[in-house]
Amino acid sequence: MIQKKICMLGGFAVGKTSLVRRFVTNVFSDQYHTTIGVTVEKKTVAIKDHEVMLMLWDLYGEDEFQKVRDSYLRGSSAYIVVMDGTRRGTLDTALALQQTAARTLGSVPFVSIINKADLQTEWEIDEGAIEQLRARGWTVLFGSAKLGQGVEELFRNITTQIMHGSPLPTERL
Amino acid sequence: MSHRPFDSVPSDDPLFNRILSTLDIAVFERDEPSGGFRLQGLAPEWWCARVGPEASTVLDLEQWSPFLRDYVAADHSVWASESGPVEKSGPWTESDGQGGTMTLEATVLSMESRTVLLIERLGAGFEQMRSIVQRARERMLAEDVTVKSHRKTETRLINQLEVSERTKDDALALLQHLGLAALVLDERGCITFASDRARQLLGASTGEVIGREWGEVIPFHQQDRTIFRETINAPSDSRTAGPFYIDSAQPTWVEVDIHRDPRHPGRQIVVVNDRTELHTLRRALSEQASFHDLVGKSPAMLRVYQLVRDVASVDTTVLIEGETGTGKELIARAIHSTSGRRERPFIAANCAGLTDSILTSQLFGHKRGAFTGAVNDQQGLFEAAEGGTLFLDEIGDVPQPVQTALLRVLQEKEITRLGESRPRKVDVRVLAATHHNLSEDVVRGSFRADLLYRIRIARIRLPTLRERREDIPLLAHSFLMTICAATGKTIDRLSPETLHRLMSYVWPGNVRELRSAIEFAVISCKGTEVSPDDLPPEIVGTPAVPTLAPWIPLQGGDEKSRLLAALSDAKGNRTEAAKRLGVSRATFYRRLVELDIPPR
Ligand SMILES: Nc1nc2c(ncn2[C@@H]2O[C@H](COP(=O)(O)OP(=O)(O)O)[C@@H](O)[C@H]2O)c(=O)[nH]1
Ligand SMILES: [Mg+2]
Repeated sequence: MIQKKICMLGGFAVGKTSLVRRFVTNVFSDQYHTTIGVTVEKKTVAIKDHEVMLMLWDLYGEDEFQKVRDSYLRGSSAYIVVMDGTRRGTLDTALALQQTAARTLGSVPFVSIINKADLQTEWEIDEGAIEQLRARGWTVLFGSAKLGQGVEELFRNITTQIMHGSPLPTERL
Repeated sequence: MSHRPFDSVPSDDPLFNRILSTLDIAVFERDEPSGGFRLQGLAPEWWCARVGPEASTVLDLEQWSPFLRDYVAADHSVWASESGPVEKSGPWTESDGQGGTMTLEATVLSMESRTVLLIERLGAGFEQMRSIVQRARERMLAEDVTVKSHRKTETRLINQLEVSERTKDDALALLQHLGLAALVLDERGCITFASDRARQLLGASTGEVIGREWGEVIPFHQQDRTIFRETINAPSDSRTAGPFYIDSAQPTWVEVDIHRDPRHPGRQIVVVNDRTELHTLRRALSEQASFHDLVGKSPAMLRVYQLVRDVASVDTTVLIEGETGTGKELIARAIHSTSGRRERPFIAANCAGLTDSILTSQLFGHKRGAFTGAVNDQQGLFEAAEGGTLFLDEIGDVPQPVQTALLRVLQEKEITRLGESRPRKVDVRVLAATHHNLSEDVVRGSFRADLLYRIRIARIRLPTLRERREDIPLLAHSFLMTICAATGKTIDRLSPETLHRLMSYVWPGNVRELRSAIEFAVISCKGTEVSPDDLPPEIVGTPAVPTLAPWIPLQGGDEKSRLLAALSDAKGNRTEAAKRLGVSRATFYRRLVELDIPPR
């Protein structure tokens, strides 16, 4: 079975772990348990008769205490950039991380998601900012790990992009 | 370096193995031909728990997190060179084989031709570090929430401010629309708001009002200023004060309602009411009361009041001239009560239509048996008025013999009772009144010239009501109020049309006729307002032409005297006299001829 490495990138507490856990085990916890090490979760998905084993690298959040090591990114087929809609600052972190990823991995597919859609009334990331991201060529999805909204779609979207790109892996090198 | 540490560490050294196992480190060495890693020495507990006691001692990378496989597969520079830095894997999470997780960290060491892999389970030290980072991140999140809630409060306040600004604008528009004169004063008495009407009333223009202390802006007089300040400082929620005079381009009288702003107890809302009209009426009424029972503020009447004051202070005889019903007796009373004799009696005697002897006896008294029916000694009015004032009305009607007796009283200041010969001293001030032109009576020979000069030392001529039409509303209102008070009726006003009729009528009977007309109207009136229909027919019948009043013929001598009075008022100018009477010149001439009044 094909295995694909996907990194979860984003500032701390944006919901990377929550998204992965919701996707893999369909559970959610309101408790914040900061991730310091790397946890790799696996889940098999089927895209048009093809089964793919996704290896989801839940990296710790980038902040002043921890910097993501470039080496963790190597070998990724794609990555997911997560932002917290209620914190404007997580968008800046996302931009920086995406640049690091692009430098390390080249133009592998990635999608971004603005998490915590259940708290939309408190969002600080507004339409204008989202438009700017899209203008940079970003795919911007919305979701809530808490409610399970947009989670399946997130992983399905990135997997589809990987599968479309996989017949021609050399092109990306 | 000739010393090779790996050579000197026997893999089966029991002490060495125990140390590594106690430190939770599993040691593997690469088996060169197969490339697999084989466990060396004692396995730590976590390894056994994870792979099971019977498992092989070969590391099966497929069983572990891809994280370890990637690390091992990476191009570690240390593998090639002995002196390169050691690159640890960094922590990663593994299942502990018992339903939980554990955090491991791997290190690859390459020496000579041997490669060693150390995997350490991170323990207490790591947990401590993790909890510090966790706390730091939680604090950052909490701070973020605080900042956000502050920002939210701020936004809410700004929004509320906007809403209240809008509400204020609406209230303002309403205020301006209603033409309400309102001011808002802050705690220090500074004006924070003034409606257009208020600025207008206070004689202050835009811009120079806001932010200034009320005392600087409102042109009150000193004593009003004090009252206003006291009213503002009074503790009750709503207060009224005034009237205050505002000394501006358009002099105004105002009353103020002061309300405490319920939301800001330090602030005061001042509503200014224009009371100029009311005040003028009130003042007119109080002036009337202050001048005895005389009502009127026309220039003609003001001149009369001044004359009354003038003659009151000197003890002379005064001749009061005026048409019937103009209030001659009131003037006499006013003179008396303004004079030094006011504590003494005032006695009025009407001399009209009395015979010689009756009038003599009435004025001077008589002795018992002086004439038939004189059963007792009787003092006369002169004696009764001792020390005070005797008012002789219709002096022109006094028969010749009485005129002579009067002259002697005025000259000698003594009287003799009828039937007596001994004169009695009297101290009486005589005031006389007439509706005749006494000069003409003198010419005609019906009045003694010396008596006329004696009584006409001072002279007050009362204007007819026609000559002071502007007093009609005041008089009418004053009568209305007195009559209503006396009859218990509640009529509070005269309709504009009624007032118009009253003002255009010629009033031959003057104020007395006006009073009767109001009495009549009060009886007829069914509502709270007197309408023209309530007035006596002769007044209603009059076409309402204020400038030219119609001719109401008077009877006999009365009409003659009116024509003569008009002529004398007009200083002999007949056109002017006709105008004063409200008749045409032709009618005036015809009546002069008919009544046998000679041209002068
Ligand atoms: N309301 C809400 N909270 C979420 C959502 N996703 C994650 N969280 C909470 O955000 C905090 C951080 O989540 P976590 O997954 O640990 O973030 P990570 O540091 O990016 O892995 C935790 O307290 C979660 O419960 C979501 O969709 N809605
Ligand atoms: Mg996490």
